[in-house]
Amino acid sequence: MKYPLPMPMRASVLTGLLLLVACGTVNTTSTRDGPATTAHPKQTQINDLLTQIFLHCRELRMFRTAGGPMEMQIDVNNDDFRQRNFAWRVDWLDAQGNVIPSTMSVWKSASVPSGGMTTLTSVAPGDAGVDFRLQVRRSD
Amino acid sequence: MLRTTTAICILVPILCACSTPARPIETGGIESITSVDDVDMQDILKASSGMLESLLSQGTLKSAPRQPAQLLIGSIVNDTSSRFDIGEMTYRMREQLVNSGQAAVVTTYGTTPEDATAQDALKRKAFLEGQAAPASVDPDFSLTGKITQVKRQAGNVKQATYTFRLTLTNLRSGIEAWTKVVDVTKQGSKNAIGF
Repeated sequence: MKYPLPMPMRASVLTGLLLLVACGTVNTTSTRDGPATTAHPKQTQINDLLTQIFLHCRELRMFRTAGGPMEMQIDVNNDDFRQRNFAWRVDWLDAQGNVIPSTMSVWKSASVPSGGMTTLTSVAPGDAGVDFRLQVRRSD
Repeated sequence: MLRTTTAICILVPILCACSTPARPIETGGIESITSVDDVDMQDILKASSGMLESLLSQGTLKSAPRQPAQLLIGSIVNDTSSRFDIGEMTYRMREQLVNSGQAAVVTTYGTTPEDATAQDALKRKAFLEGQAAPASVDPDFSLTGKITQVKRQAGNVKQATYTFRLTLTNLRSGIEAWTKVVDVTKQGSKNAIGF
């Protein structure tokens, strides 16, 4: 196979492209090593969902807020070389598994830069909310 | 003549196929139109949801001496170039708070009450009972706010940040009890479908 560019030029172009990709990458670190005390065991299920849009769930936390309702937090990592944009929505469920009707259940948009992280947060519409249902849709 | 007829026969179906027929979509859903120069429905829904989440997680309304807390919805100013009714946001918040029993909105208070007829009826009842004012109306909190915008442009790319800010004032102390800011930033050169 014949290449249109000589070897040194090809190497330069390749290095340049890699540098361009790396320019938009966010580097992330944390002072915390272990999981949070409020970490939830259903992280794998969330991760399976996010993997479908090329994202990664680092941790799922659930805790009761000062006001009473439960709050969930999902740390979402983007291990890809591209920025990822997506829409997400949470419906809260009561102890019987019924959806709690709420004007707070709306589609929200989020974007995670390459190598970066974002946290999806949602608060239950009342003290009855103990579980949640997450929907995600890739936007880009 | 034949050429013209052929061209029309080809172009008309193509043009018809390109147009989008009207259909119902989910309000604030992922198929909604996203515009840079205006506040969209999904922005209002996001703002009201963010406000409610903050208010409920702080538990400010639960600190009222009586439950549910009596809430007065005051002035919320739209200081943006986008025209929309503030009620699109406040009514969604009211629906959640009132229907879940976390707050009761007072509609018969002040010089410009939301329900003047009900206020007149209450005043008449209080007068007949020898009271100065209706005893049942005693608001705990007042909700006020403002919506502002910051717009910038680079080439043909426009960017707008709409900031929704609400404040809850404790009417017994006159001190701010809760405040929240929700930002919505959009960037692009033209409106688009979906987000």
